[in-house]
Amino acid sequence: MAWHDVAPEGDFLEEIPKVVQVGEDRVAVFRLDDGFYAISDVCTHEYALLSEGFCEDGKVECPLHQACFDIRTGKVLNEPAEIDVETYPTRVEGGVVQFQL
Amino acid sequence: MRTVIVGAGQAGRRTAELLRGLDAGHDILLLGEEAEPPYDRPPLSKEILLGEEHPRGLMQRDAEAYDAQRIALRLGERVAGIDLGAARVETNAGERIAYDSLVVATGARARNLPIPGADDRRVLTLRSMADARALRARLRPGLRLAVAGAGLIGLEVAAAAIQLGCAVTVLEMGERAMARCVPEAISTRIEAWHRAAGVVLEFGCPLTAIRPESDALHLVTSRGVIAADLLLVAIGAIPNSELAREAGIAVEDGILADASGRTSHPQVFAAGEVARIWQEAAGRHIRFETWQVAQHQPVAVANALCGAQRPYAELPWHWTDQYGRNVQILGAHGAGLDWLEREDGERLASLGVDAEGRVQGAVLIDNGREATPLRRIIAAGRPIERDRLLDPSVALRQLC
Repeated sequence: MAWHDVAPEGDFLEEIPKVVQVGEDRVAVFRLDDGFYAISDVCTHEYALLSEGFCEDGKVECPLHQACFDIRTGKVLNEPAEIDVETYPTRVEGGVVQFQL
Repeated sequence: MRTVIVGAGQAGRRTAELLRGLDAGHDILLLGEEAEPPYDRPPLSKEILLGEEHPRGLMQRDAEAYDAQRIALRLGERVAGIDLGAARVETNAGERIAYDSLVVATGARARNLPIPGADDRRVLTLRSMADARALRARLRPGLRLAVAGAGLIGLEVAAAAIQLGCAVTVLEMGERAMARCVPEAISTRIEAWHRAAGVVLEFGCPLTAIRPESDALHLVTSRGVIAADLLLVAIGAIPNSELAREAGIAVEDGILADASGRTSHPQVFAAGEVARIWQEAAGRHIRFETWQVAQHQPVAVANALCGAQRPYAELPWHWTDQYGRNVQILGAHGAGLDWLEREDGERLASLGVDAEGRVQGAVLIDNGREATPLRRIIAAGRPIERDRLLDPSVALRQLC
């Protein structure tokens, strides 16, 4: 487990996540009104990048088949996906957003 | 209450699972003709052809998953008849099964070419997992594959086959690719992907006869004779509505159903692609051939089976994946729309606007993020100024 830098805090736009690749894992980091959240970027239904999806009210929608996930908890909110996405702890260190993986 | 569902495809599975979620006490029997447990069909013309055995998009659960949900799944059983008076179905094996409610979810089958020679073993269609496996087993580098039909399935197969090293020719009677569902400018883009990959596209080129020879199929077209090792016929689907019609249920190119899936008989419902569903907004019955209808119209059926109202009224939506590009098609695409393109690098949103300035339909290429804002824009039905629709600094979500 290690902390990975994403970007300076001020570079984040709401509803537009930043993506970091760590080995085989792709992680999408979102800025919401109460902080930063990191989830796996890959939909659990079919292969699609959630960072390419529509994001609103703390939820992200898969760009292919409209499965929705709660960005804070990783919980799947509607079909066709049935499995939650991974979540990762985040923190801000010296003004830089990081996640732990 | 016992509900019998005839047809264990996506719509049958969804009806059974949604019904179980709504009512723990319901007795649910799901009868399928195929040996396979229910699966979603989109991967059949893509991942399965490219050699993936169990793509996740199949949503194929094993038998235990049905046991766990207390859904009685019986496979390899064809229903031969429905006796509406006695409220029971009869299987091919002669077993009679009583129901309180019946859901017909028999789907659709591939349309065959009504021309001489079409019964040759080298002429295939693609509808089921067995069809997809049979096609995959024959796609080899150097094989000359002809595809009749430049619709979604024909083009997805062409894309997979060229990636597998086949020599692919698509023969289309009409003038352009996917003419039933996208505007001309989108057809042009899709055609360019195929040509860049080496697929030969022949438009205005109906197939009039097939001469099966030992060395090849000789395909007789308006442009002369084309030799092929294999012909895939992908010219649309026909609803499997005979069972309902023979029972006396109203059928008109699909089983006529209200927005809750109720047919002309109060105990019988239709789910998925076999249904021609009343659409209030359009003021007519419409039959959809999409994953969407098999996924979401069973919500209406399962609720109606429990006495609740959840009419099916979704904005039509479907998609295709070819050469790693994703194309999504939303809403209307008929004549009389002016198509405006918003392009952002590789992402495209093509918006079909009517004479009053209302967006009625859209096509998205690698741009699924905009599907939900566009659904809202189309549903709102408000005229939007053209300059705003085309202004790249105005996000579509701001126009909802």
